[in-house]
Amino acid sequence: MKAVRLLPLILLLAAMAQAQDYLNCKFAPGWEQSGSRRQYTADNLFEYKDGGAEGYLIYGFAHMRGIDCKLGGDTLSIDVSEMGDADLAYGMFSANRDPGLPIAKIGMGGQIQRQSALFAKGKYFVELVDVAASADSDHTAEMKAFAAGIEQRIEGRSTAPEALQWFPQQDLTSTRLVPESVLGLRELKRGYVASYKQGQAFIVQEASPESAAEVLKKLRGRFDGASSAQVGDEAFQAKTQYLGGICIFRKGRTLAGYTNLPEPQGAASLAAQLAARIP
Amino acid sequence: MKQKTSCRDFLSAGMMIPVAGMSSKLGLWQPSGESASSAGSSPVKLDYRTLGRTGLKVTTMGFGCMITSDPSVITRAADLGINYFDTARGYQHGNNERMVAAALGARRKQVVLSTKSAAPDKDALLKELETSLRELNTDYVDIWYLHAKGSPAEVRDDMIEAQQLAKKQGKIRFAGVSTHGGQQQLLPWMAQKGVFDVVLAGYNFSMDSSMDQALQAAAKSGMGVVAMKVMAGGFRGPKPGDPVQDKLKQKGALLAALKWVINKPYVTTTIPSITDMDQLDEDMQSMSQPFSSSDNKLLAEHLEQIRPLYCRMCGKCDGACQKGLPVADMLRCLTYADGYRQFALARERFLELPPEKVAVRCGDCAECTVKCPHGVQVPERMARAQELFA
Repeated sequence: MKAVRLLPLILLLAAMAQAQDYLNCKFAPGWEQSGSRRQYTADNLFEYKDGGAEGYLIYGFAHMRGIDCKLGGDTLSIDVSEMGDADLAYGMFSANRDPGLPIAKIGMGGQIQRQSALFAKGKYFVELVDVAASADSDHTAEMKAFAAGIEQRIEGRSTAPEALQWFPQQDLTSTRLVPESVLGLRELKRGYVASYKQGQAFIVQEASPESAAEVLKKLRGRFDGASSAQVGDEAFQAKTQYLGGICIFRKGRTLAGYTNLPEPQGAASLAAQLAARIP
Repeated sequence: MKQKTSCRDFLSAGMMIPVAGMSSKLGLWQPSGESASSAGSSPVKLDYRTLGRTGLKVTTMGFGCMITSDPSVITRAADLGINYFDTARGYQHGNNERMVAAALGARRKQVVLSTKSAAPDKDALLKELETSLRELNTDYVDIWYLHAKGSPAEVRDDMIEAQQLAKKQGKIRFAGVSTHGGQQQLLPWMAQKGVFDVVLAGYNFSMDSSMDQALQAAAKSGMGVVAMKVMAGGFRGPKPGDPVQDKLKQKGALLAALKWVINKPYVTTTIPSITDMDQLDEDMQSMSQPFSSSDNKLLAEHLEQIRPLYCRMCGKCDGACQKGLPVADMLRCLTYADGYRQFALARERFLELPPEKVAVRCGDCAECTVKCPHGVQVPERMARAQELFA
């Protein structure tokens, strides 16, 4: 009877142990744990990341668990942060990745370098940093081994956010999730931005077509000389001082558009292509 | 009912101030060729101070670039006349420096640009500086900070050598240290050391008066004082749903917090984190509006909410504890932990107390003899300190 009563607790502890199993120094041979595990919440992340903590908090940071592993003179720091949701975890990865390097297929996306690795899976953002290696040492193999071991033990989505597929792929240089004020505009609360060889595109999803229409109206009011454009359900284009030629449209509950182009007409033409890809 | 001006009245009045020259629509979204400041009915007012011994004239409101969502916000700030921009090598694994470089473009040499490195030794620091220069697309940075130091021991001689060497090589103009905690120890040490030109310190209205004195002394020694965490994020981290944070987010409250810092003559400039155009517009008002009694009231309301936690170090509780505990010192330890996020430092300071004081447990007293005139809940706070550190 007592064992039955304790069963939920045992299961809970087992689940917690499994969930934390990703903090393991044995994913690559020879590495040993150094010191105790660390844990931070939004309240005390400043202790660990100093001013950089703000960069986590805007992505809905909930908590971080970490561990240090040693091999000879090298110390590998592993930090696994739980973000607000999977999209925000991807956003954290996209904000921190090197835009000059390709994205590897680890979780929703990752990057492995000689002395560091980053990836996001589910609502988790994972950072590996070899903090004490000499500048010349190449730990790519270990980084891959650790990333693979951690990735296998983290639950959650392994596919990048669907909206990223809607961006035209030609001349695309990078994509990222912006957690607030997309394009520096408060009305565009959270969304995706794609950078191209020339210009950038964005996608923001509102709760309903009505709220999207309201936001579009407010945005249009910001731009002197805006004129209507034939894109999506409704659209406008304008030439602006800081975002260049722009075209912003609404399709259902989605707001999207192109900016930073020489002329608004060019932005409208590209926006039409983007609108065709949005379901 | 009528004789008293409410905060809401003040805020409404504040929103009517004619700042069309910097308003989002008139200032920002003009067709190319029209400058932001010429478009409106009144120009943006810029307020300058000299950054200590550097002699640099900087706007009292600078720009913290770390969480800015789009480079256009930084570009516009530079066009509006803001001339101090701050980033760090570590922000977003270097992406922030790239974004700042792209945003400033040809404006780079018209502004004061600072970055930071948290590298652990001289060689690593100098290597990171080279990376910063490359990513920022510049030959030099105006101020190069040793990033996030919490005590004199963390600022090693070889780090200072790195700064001096970089100065000689013309890669940096001035040397600084950024600090989030342990400022009461670090600032006097920096002032005495005499090799630092600028200090970047967390400072806001919720901090106790010892910080005022430490910063005044720093400024008096010739260092330029740059304030960060001016919106009180340094006292309590942003936490969704937290009523204190929610209150601070109400219209005008953040501006009041910024004006409070700018109102201090020993602070040269500030680097609020700015995410979008609207916040830039609001923060710009800090240079054209004086810190008013209404601002004071607004911040006092905010402080009222943290009053049970917040020791002003007035000394009125000295000798009041029947067990002889140094109440203010113990509460200060708690402030290190809760306010400045320096748990290790807090515990270290706590354990410096005599063992017989460390052993006292406030819960053992039937009644507390300490009554704080400012409303700090002394028994609860002391018990928390003992629970955390003893």
